[in-house]
Amino acid sequence: MEMRLLLSLLLAGLVSTVAALSAQGSKLLVVLEDESEKSRYSQFWTDLEDRGFQLTYRTPKDPQLSLFRHGEPAYSHLLLLPPGKGTKGLGPNLTPNLLVDFISAGSNVLMALSGEQSIPSAVSSLLLEFDISLPPDRNSMVVDHFNYDSSSAKESHDVLLLPGKNAGGSKKGVADILSVDGILALPHAVGAVLGNASPLLNSIIKAPATAYTYNPKEEQEGVEDVFATGDQLSLVTAFQARNSARFTLLGSVEALQDAWFDTTVQHSAPGSKSEQAANRAFAQKLTGWTFKELGVVKAGPVTHFLNEGSQQNTSDLTTLSDINPSIYRINTEVHYTIELSTWSVDHWVPFTPPASDAVQLEFSMLSPFHRLNLAPTTTPANPNASLFTATFTLPDQHGIFNFFVEYRRPYLTNIEEKRTVTVRHFAHDEYPRSFVIMAAYPWITGIWTTVAGFVGFCALWLYSRPEKERVELKVKEAGGR
Amino acid sequence: MRLLPALTALLLPLTALGAKKSPGDRFAEYDTKQRSASKAVTLDDRSYEALTTAPRDYSVAVLLTALEARFGCGLCNEFQPEWDLLAKQWTKGDKNGEGRLVFGTLDFLDGKATFQSMMLQTAPVLLLFHPTTGPNARADSTPVRFDFSNGPDRAEPIHAWLSRQLPHTSPPPFVRPINYVKIAVITTLGLGVVTFLSVAAPYILPIIQNRNLWAAVSLLAVLLFTSGHMFNHIRKVPYAGADGKGGMSYFAGGFQNQFGLETQIIAALYGVLSFATISLALKVPRMADARAQSIAVFVWGGVILVVYSFLLSIFRIKSGGYPFWLPPF
Amino acid sequence: MAASTTAPTASTASSSPMAFFLQGETGRNTRGLLRLIILCTIAAAAVASRLFSVIRFESIIHEFDPWFNFRATKYLVNHGFYAFWDWFDDRTWHPLGRVTGGTLYPGLMVTSGSIYHLLRFLTLPVDIRNICVLLAPACSGLTAFASYLFTSEMSDSPSAGLLAAIFMGIAPGYISRSVAGSYDNEAIAIFLLVFTFYLWIKAVKVGSIMWGALTALFYGYMVSAWGGYVFITNLLPLHAFVLICMGRFSPRLYVSYTTWYALGTLASMQIPFVGFLPIRSSDHMAALGVFGLTQLVGAAEYLRSQLPSKQFQTVIRSAVLLIFVVAFGGLVLLTVSGVVAPWSGRFYSLWDTGYAKIHIPIIASVSEHQPTAWPAFFFDLNMLIWLFPAGVYMCFRKLKDEQVFIVIYAVLASYFAGVMVRLMLTLTPVVCVAAAMALSQILDTFLVASAPTENDADTKQANGTPAGANGSIADKLSSALPDTLRSTKSPLVGIYSYLSKSLITGAITSYLLLFVLHCTWVTSNAYSSPSVVLASRLPDGSQHIIDDYREAYYWLRQNTEPTAKVMSWWDYGYQIGGMADRPTLVDNNTWNNTHIATVGKAMSSREEVSYPIMKQHEVDYVLVVFGGLLGYSGDDINKFLWMVRIAEGIWPDEVKERDFFTQRGEYRVDDQATPTMRNSLMYKMSYYNYNSLFPAGQAMDRVRGSKLPADGPQLSTVEEAFTSENWIIRIYKVKDFDNLGRNHQDATAFEKGNKRKKTSAKRRGARVLRVD
Repeated sequence: MEMRLLLSLLLAGLVSTVAALSAQGSKLLVVLEDESEKSRYSQFWTDLEDRGFQLTYRTPKDPQLSLFRHGEPAYSHLLLLPPGKGTKGLGPNLTPNLLVDFISAGSNVLMALSGEQSIPSAVSSLLLEFDISLPPDRNSMVVDHFNYDSSSAKESHDVLLLPGKNAGGSKKGVADILSVDGILALPHAVGAVLGNASPLLNSIIKAPATAYTYNPKEEQEGVEDVFATGDQLSLVTAFQARNSARFTLLGSVEALQDAWFDTTVQHSAPGSKSEQAANRAFAQKLTGWTFKELGVVKAGPVTHFLNEGSQQNTSDLTTLSDINPSIYRINTEVHYTIELSTWSVDHWVPFTPPASDAVQLEFSMLSPFHRLNLAPTTTPANPNASLFTATFTLPDQHGIFNFFVEYRRPYLTNIEEKRTVTVRHFAHDEYPRSFVIMAAYPWITGIWTTVAGFVGFCALWLYSRPEKERVELKVKEAGGR
Repeated sequence: MRLLPALTALLLPLTALGAKKSPGDRFAEYDTKQRSASKAVTLDDRSYEALTTAPRDYSVAVLLTALEARFGCGLCNEFQPEWDLLAKQWTKGDKNGEGRLVFGTLDFLDGKATFQSMMLQTAPVLLLFHPTTGPNARADSTPVRFDFSNGPDRAEPIHAWLSRQLPHTSPPPFVRPINYVKIAVITTLGLGVVTFLSVAAPYILPIIQNRNLWAAVSLLAVLLFTSGHMFNHIRKVPYAGADGKGGMSYFAGGFQNQFGLETQIIAALYGVLSFATISLALKVPRMADARAQSIAVFVWGGVILVVYSFLLSIFRIKSGGYPFWLPPF
Repeated sequence: MAASTTAPTASTASSSPMAFFLQGETGRNTRGLLRLIILCTIAAAAVASRLFSVIRFESIIHEFDPWFNFRATKYLVNHGFYAFWDWFDDRTWHPLGRVTGGTLYPGLMVTSGSIYHLLRFLTLPVDIRNICVLLAPACSGLTAFASYLFTSEMSDSPSAGLLAAIFMGIAPGYISRSVAGSYDNEAIAIFLLVFTFYLWIKAVKVGSIMWGALTALFYGYMVSAWGGYVFITNLLPLHAFVLICMGRFSPRLYVSYTTWYALGTLASMQIPFVGFLPIRSSDHMAALGVFGLTQLVGAAEYLRSQLPSKQFQTVIRSAVLLIFVVAFGGLVLLTVSGVVAPWSGRFYSLWDTGYAKIHIPIIASVSEHQPTAWPAFFFDLNMLIWLFPAGVYMCFRKLKDEQVFIVIYAVLASYFAGVMVRLMLTLTPVVCVAAAMALSQILDTFLVASAPTENDADTKQANGTPAGANGSIADKLSSALPDTLRSTKSPLVGIYSYLSKSLITGAITSYLLLFVLHCTWVTSNAYSSPSVVLASRLPDGSQHIIDDYREAYYWLRQNTEPTAKVMSWWDYGYQIGGMADRPTLVDNNTWNNTHIATVGKAMSSREEVSYPIMKQHEVDYVLVVFGGLLGYSGDDINKFLWMVRIAEGIWPDEVKERDFFTQRGEYRVDDQATPTMRNSLMYKMSYYNYNSLFPAGQAMDRVRGSKLPADGPQLSTVEEAFTSENWIIRIYKVKDFDNLGRNHQDATAFEKGNKRKKTSAKRRGARVLRVD
């Protein structure tokens, strides 16, 4: 709850400062083993700095390395390079609990691993919390005998070449954010297996069907009990928490090094010519997504009003007499509008859902009574948001209902907007009067004839005074018993 | 009609072979048996074993009961006819046994071994064995147990329970057969009563119209109710309790509970008090003789005083810290 | 033909020094004035004896239901009558809401609302709360007056009415529901009950349409005030029916009954909550049937008076009987076919006492629906309880229509009071009346100054004129009746010796004094502590106030969002709504069994089962009452079995009462408790962190008197938010879904720092592949 609040605050603050292109913040902490490694990624750093990130370099042992200041996250983003050989974990300031808290505080993490170095147990136990499991064997890496780079890894077959266009698994209805043209080179990649339950996980790049995990250290023919094979192995993995904080696991850190940014690779398949690796573009996209430059959606104001009487089909909401009322009556028509906008480079633009996907509105009490697709429209009135509207009739059931828009999609920040309204029953004077209902006429006539008859009878009775003795007799009758 | 029991008895020895048979014809056998008997099949240890051994592709509902009088299991004897009726109606419901459900009754006399093996202390117990093979088999072969503790020992709740337990079968609706005999008896009795009344009216009327009778009846009712008789009726309290040292305690401790005897004592006290009051109010001033009258006044006044103070003392037992009292108690 | 209420009687009409003031016209005026003064004093006493709680604590609403009535009254005062009439309350029964305007008896709220506006009109601005707090005592004064009138209709003795008034004024049985601050429907309902009965008796005696119409009017008021109106709806017809059976049908009865039924039914149908029940439900069918019967009998009587042929009369008789039987059969048929609704559960459970426990546990679970033990009778009515039968007996002495009424009322009410504690309330008036009649008879006999002499006794013997002969037709009738009571055969003489007179008078006076002491003691000790504030005595005897309820409710009010939903057992719904002003899931208006069962299921299931239920119902906080530390026995663990039973009624396969009992059938909370019990949310929330109060392994539950297991329960889906001073109320916050999509058990385990096992492929068997 307050995480989303914090996020929106940050957004508000940062829309103005155009320097930062991230929708969330520009402070990026880079944790690497020692300064010497830093030089190997110079292009990567410059790309990030050109995009307005303020990089801070720390080593795990650095005493002044701390993710939080005054209980608030000290950085908006964190980039973890693989720890050096033989280190047990990431150091006292980067324990799994701290990292989980960091993410729960809404910050984003990009973690890069390498098959070259053995993975510390702290990392794998942290990943287990995200339902990502690494091979039990610390030094194994992904090998493929059909899609390797024949120029660099002729023997070891451990540099995978994959088409960049199906990065982010180009599926129907999923926003295409991460795909790049050209071919990606992923050397010495660590393959991870994703839990089959978690909906928060997505595999950006899967290993090809012919890949498998293999440990080059122990020399042996044929592997029994392979950890995982084929597209169960995820090389680049995206995790988006419920508070839209993003965590990305990059299987091979070498892919970010200058060496692989501008090299030419050649696919092992016969007859394929060598070409420039698209790693640089992919690195930009990947960091862009992880650090909230891409795929950021926010909800603007929500309005709903009674779509009847004077304010029927009002287009200009400012003219409405009562907007967002807290109580409606059953069987009335209601108009609902929500503004959605998405972040592009340095400002908000109208959001349109990907093809064959729709933003849905639920009108629910315990269970949805309506589930409607919202129709997007853009108005010149507000150029940087699109209105999603629906008009529907309230159910014939009183209670406390919710206008509920829940939009959770892979690679897009989560939208969850809930407005609670009361739906009341008919008031006693809102039913049609009896003389309006034709079927009531017999009864009405019946009533009035009875009344008239009674009055007439009374008149008759009073007029014809009974004789004396009859009354006497009656009294005796009454008394004598 | 008399043949059927004989037939079942004749079939019983076969059950020894039942164990060897395949589940399919085992079911067929017992199904025919319960259809012929038109009640739950009477089992003994061997046939019980045979019937409930895995693998079985049918479900078995066995009632473990103790019908013998000396066990004094009222619930068992009450429930037995209901159980047989349920079995009859069910088997009649699905003619060719798609439900694949066998009803069995295992009396304690025939099934001592089974009772001991299951360490059953109470009866009746209703066990439902789900099939272990076939389309709707359950993983665990342990039987489901129906709990008789909370009362309902009629066929309907059992039927509902069975239907819940066997969702796959389309359980036949349970219809209680109309008891024509009962209806006839009731009608004849009713007519008889009416005729009797019409005949005997002149003799009964004066009794009914007797005011003293009505007074007595209503006074009794009032005394009963105000002395907490309904509480005994609803809570089924013991008639009298035992104090720690072997003796009998007439008054239950505490404000919220009471004994049967206790309420009767209280009712008696109330009765005496109100009778004394009535005498003082109505009888005494009608006494012609002065001396007799004053004696009566003293006597009734004394009675009221003593009994009332006794009542107060009892009440002090019931609710501690009640400050008021009257001499002499 | 009615004996006027101020009939001069033999007792006071004797000659004495102050003859001028005591005889003739002035004498009557003097007596009237005295009577008025006495009545005012009685009313004052009645009001005064109900103010203990206000003086001791503050002007505060008691109990549970009154909190809702108070809230509704405030709504009425703030938003006006029509808004109240159409009130849809969206802060109870979340998320269903409650059509409150249509499901309550508005009489109480409207009464105090109108009083409020009246005072405003008189420029007396009084806080509505004070009106609500003091309404019940004010009504009790009126009740005393009403019972005076009622009794005066019953007996000629002038003292009977006054005695009945004072009895009614201070009898604990009535005080229990009408102390200041117990702002419940019964507060005004009892007054209306007694007054309606008075009007009915008046109507039957006089046989005038006006009195009948007045009866109907107040009956309508009663209907708008209390669900107990069904008692009147069935008692009056029964009275009429018995009279007809006794062959006492008269034009007076016909006029009064038909007037009452027609107008009263119309009036009652104006209340939305009652609506068409008077013609659709079995509870009201008796009235309808007797209405029809009176028409038949009336017609028959008329014909018979017209044509005096013997055979014809028998024909008519049988015809009436036949039609009656046929009509009755038709009614039964309608009920069976479902056109007429069957008896409502609460009412039916009065007849079949075992019914509720099996079929409607929700009704059986209410504490005030339990049967009454005899000490309760004596506690509430002290000596009246044994004067009561005497009074009933005396009604038989001179059995006129009104005495018949008393007898029926006495028998029925004592049965109902025996079955349900709360119905002691309907018994109290008749007890007071009957006891007053008995006692006044004694006093009138023994307070006569003049002593009879032997010879005028003889003359009386000679011309045996019966008791209290003051030449009214009624007495002639009663003397003409077939047989009189055995105790009143011989003529009335009087008391001879002054000694016996003074003796009995003294004794009675002392008993009355004792009665007054008893009533005061009971009122101040038992009925004057608002149940939201528990008063306890310290060892040194000083009083110690335990105020956890208000502490917790004010915590809720000040520390949670105004829309935070609070889940608790239904007993506390009204208080949370009234004091904490927070939406609740269920409350004391137990109209929706399923919703209550849902809460019961959430309380009695494992956390993993409860959490989805709570999330679905948008629960933010859970409130439990726990008396273990203080030994407060009315806590949720003791009510827990009811939650289980009610939940089992809806989900027999998911919640089983059996699982909460040990093998030996005990209900335990210590380490012998069943796993189901120890994993239930209620158990966990009650005992969470409880053993941190004690040295290790010494945790003790003072209500169940059992030692708790060494390691306390662990909670993962809810977290402790508040615990009151004496741990009576514990409030838990329901956690949101885990940010990383784990289940809460794993999340808490991770925060505790123990790593999750990496399940190797071998142990896990075939891996479930991910498809996306």
